[in-house]
Amino acid sequence: MPIHDQGYRRYAGTRAPRGRAWTVITRAGMRTFFGRRAFLGLLLLSWSQFFVRTVQIYAAANLPQAAFFAPTPETFRRFFSIQELFVFVMTVYVGAGLIANDRRANALQIYLSKPLTRVEYVFGKLAILMTLLLLITWVPAILLLIVQILFAGSFTFVRSNGYLLPAITLFSFVDVVTVSTTMLALSSLSNSSRYVGMLYAGVIFFSRALFNVLRFVTGASTLSWISFSVNLDQIGDVIFRLPPQYDTPWPVSLLTIVGLIVASAIVLERRVRGVEIVA
Amino acid sequence: MTPPATHATPTVLASTARIFDLSLGQMLWSRRSVFLAFLVGGPVLLAAGIRVVSAADRLGLPQINGARVGGAALFGTMIWLLYVRVIVPVLGVFYGTSLVADEVDDKTITYLFTRPIPRAAVLFGKYLAYLVCTVLLVLPSVVFVYFLVAPIGGTIGEAFPTLVADLGMLAVGLTAYGAVFAWVGARMRRPLVVGLVFTFGWEPVVLVVPGYLKRLTVAYYLQALVPHAMPRDSPVSVLLQVFSGGPSVPTSLASLAAIAVVALWWAGRSVEKQEYVLEQ
Repeated sequence: MPIHDQGYRRYAGTRAPRGRAWTVITRAGMRTFFGRRAFLGLLLLSWSQFFVRTVQIYAAANLPQAAFFAPTPETFRRFFSIQELFVFVMTVYVGAGLIANDRRANALQIYLSKPLTRVEYVFGKLAILMTLLLLITWVPAILLLIVQILFAGSFTFVRSNGYLLPAITLFSFVDVVTVSTTMLALSSLSNSSRYVGMLYAGVIFFSRALFNVLRFVTGASTLSWISFSVNLDQIGDVIFRLPPQYDTPWPVSLLTIVGLIVASAIVLERRVRGVEIVA
Repeated sequence: MTPPATHATPTVLASTARIFDLSLGQMLWSRRSVFLAFLVGGPVLLAAGIRVVSAADRLGLPQINGARVGGAALFGTMIWLLYVRVIVPVLGVFYGTSLVADEVDDKTITYLFTRPIPRAAVLFGKYLAYLVCTVLLVLPSVVFVYFLVAPIGGTIGEAFPTLVADLGMLAVGLTAYGAVFAWVGARMRRPLVVGLVFTFGWEPVVLVVPGYLKRLTVAYYLQALVPHAMPRDSPVSVLLQVFSGGPSVPTSLASLAAIAVVALWWAGRSVEKQEYVLEQ
């Protein structure tokens, strides 16, 4: 079809208010993932533990023989431990390509030539991963708490464990922020999402294996801070008021996590640039 | 007018050798080598650190009946925790899934498929390159670790026969995992996620389930070949020892060989039949 009019036309759409352009990236990203059947399958699988726990809570509340299923604060901590596998898979599936694919398609320059700052771009991408991870950690955990109240027909459990709601919220956010920033930083380091995914898996499993060897060598778990996932376990135990599993003081684990987030922010600051200047 | 020249189509073997030659250099000098160096260099650095600290006699190695556990046991633990459970499966997933997927992502698979060679030879050649590349880097790393760690509280010769068995076992593991994930990479659109779920989700879970399900893993047969006692580093390991009674060495070797051959054959068939759609 011939083009008769090659004149310039002004943009007729609405512009997001200053500081809110990141929501455009987040919305578009979420729409992309929710449009994939594989992602929906993964999401459903990630909720499987919630369904099992719901049945357990129902049985504990209604059948005297199943009273041993009654939830305790430890149940919620264990819920997060089991969800770690799904968090890992979801992080690799969603996060590996978030920046790497844009770098591969040279889309970063196009993004940053729009009225969008680097911070907004990074925050928009971060929000995609964080939202989807909270959807399989914080949301089901809170729903489990609500389910407990509904099936028990009283607030006794929640009232006697008043710290559970803030603990679930705090641990979910610590977990999700740590995982998301690390993955995003790794994603900015390469053009290949597959390479990024493997790097992340390497960091998680290799650091844990190194810690296990050192634990065998030293006979103590003082060096647990070298493992990415163990640091989160340690902080989780403290937040849920359970005795920590490892000898490392929890402030050391917290410091390692904060260091990891800061290092990821520095990597993102250096790697997410509209124009790469090669000396 | 001269008659058109007749070209004999190269055999699968000759084509495989050509692709192998082409791929080996690419694999050794690529971005992936950094990852590989990190994985195989880590244990060597750790072993060197342990050796230095052991010289100052500041290691708290566990004691059994009053005698301190020696370097041979430490070497066995490193083989289990680092190589068998992490390095071999991770390398298998990473390289195996990349054999075809990398070419699809880079949109270069067309160049290979338009050559007058059987499509399957492309995969076989790349697989052989993966095997040579990883075996040549992983096995020396194990040897370095052995020579650094074995002399701690013992002699180098003490555990030497197990070193040979370890090297063979790791080579077999790389062969089997690589073949399985080559098939996954040739067949599926998102091979990495599938590979990671299989390695770090399916295998560890199924191995502690009583019954036949564990036979649907590579780890079940590979772990039966490890000549060292499994370390009790987690409740899962304890459960694994409770449900021990793995296959014999000949059964494991035969099973791993069968897994590798069948997976490679499937991968070859997939490459021959599948239509790879390149993103525009």
